[in-house]
Amino acid sequence: MIFNKKALEFSFSWIFAIIVGAVIIFLAVYASTEFIKTEKTKQDTVLGKQLGIILTPIETNLETGKITKISIPEETRIYNECKSSQGTFGTQKISLATKLLNDEWGKPGFPSTFNNKYIFSQDVIEGKEYFVFAKPFNMPFKIADLIYLWPSDENFCFVNPPREIEDEILDLGISINITSSASECKKEAKKVCFTTSGCDIDISLDSSGNIKGSLKKKFADRVYFETSALLYAAIFSSPEVYECHLKRLMKRTSELSLLYYSKSLLLNSKGCASNLEVDLSSYTNKLFAFNSSLDLRELFFDAEIIRRKNEALSCKLF
Amino acid sequence: MKHFHVSYFNNKKAQLKIQQMAFVLVALIIFLAIVALFYFSISLSNIRKTASSLQDEEALEAVRKLASTPEFVLTTHTCSNCIDLDKAFSLKERRSYDEFWNLDFLQIENVYSEEKNECDKANYPNCKTITLIKNEEIGSPKSAFVTICYWTREKGGYTKCELGRIYASGKNIDK
Repeated sequence: MIFNKKALEFSFSWIFAIIVGAVIIFLAVYASTEFIKTEKTKQDTVLGKQLGIILTPIETNLETGKITKISIPEETRIYNECKSSQGTFGTQKISLATKLLNDEWGKPGFPSTFNNKYIFSQDVIEGKEYFVFAKPFNMPFKIADLIYLWPSDENFCFVNPPREIEDEILDLGISINITSSASECKKEAKKVCFTTSGCDIDISLDSSGNIKGSLKKKFADRVYFETSALLYAAIFSSPEVYECHLKRLMKRTSELSLLYYSKSLLLNSKGCASNLEVDLSSYTNKLFAFNSSLDLRELFFDAEIIRRKNEALSCKLF
Repeated sequence: MKHFHVSYFNNKKAQLKIQQMAFVLVALIIFLAIVALFYFSISLSNIRKTASSLQDEEALEAVRKLASTPEFVLTTHTCSNCIDLDKAFSLKERRSYDEFWNLDFLQIENVYSEEKNECDKANYPNCKTITLIKNEEIGSPKSAFVTICYWTREKGGYTKCELGRIYASGKNIDK
């Protein structure tokens, strides 16, 4: 009995060594896990910033702009965050997340913030390859280049689009199927209907023949657009991202309108009167009051008046 | 008495061993802390280098792209990469654009201007530079040649174009 008891005895140094050893091993495992996580976040942050920089040369004029394929070394999630109330112009944030060793998605890296970019995509997109193209947005002067981004494995099928859109898609080389009936679309493709309803995205075009109207995605609110640049924006992005970027675009339009107002005063002093100050001032006030895409129609009406007045000038403002 | 003496001796020996182990552990932890500190300082300097090169890359892209941005581009002609100097001069007074391009320094220079001074309301367009952004600490600016155009009342009034240079420097990462 006494012998058995002796066999179970541990000296204090053993107990101490076991406890300290366990603590050291635990700290080593914890430190290396944290280290891997930090490295991953660092890599994702750098990748996010690089993606933003890569997108800069893509923002170009339509004449030279073509669809571009962006390849990322590994399967990546892109988080598209838009803040319309941050700063004078609102902000565009991009962050990236890659998969961890256990094949689960890691936390996204720190977001890269841009004041002058407008990326239209779903809130979160994932894949290894992405399609991207840009289109200028004018109202009536150039406001910005809008960037459209979607994963290459996400297919779109346009059913009976207007001739203008069809030609543009063919010119840009965008890999979007164009059919005359929704039944001709691939099963996995997102169907975008221009004349019928019941598709993933239903578009109601204005009877004037111009590219303007509204768009309704399944289980989402209706959004409104004017011009093909905003039509693509509404198709490729979520309604939240679309409305947010639209607010940012209107903020930039109002600042540009004030800039042209200042330029007009400067040219007046040089003997080149444009007399557009009153129109620009009223246009700016309306832009400041912009609330949602529903206000676009009235603003585009005013923009068209300013464009016509400017066209008639011998000394053009823009 | 003898028994007490042995036990006392053993106890002392064990205490010495524990002390020895504690010293080794403390030394080990100090050594690991020094190694970690060394590693993190190298790693931090690498992160700084990466961030700085990314900022430089961003500034370079900005310089390439700035001439065609709506705030600068000359829209009255078909020149999509010419800078409208009248617009750029008007932009100088607009403080809302200070943080817009994420730059610490942004300047447009009229390369062949005989004047040496900064543009203001009194001397424009007979001046050398328009400085739009100038923060206290700036890195080495990147530059690109551009065409700068402005309206002049000479010869009955026309848009005059000259050779210009645009300078930009990315945001300092220490801020």
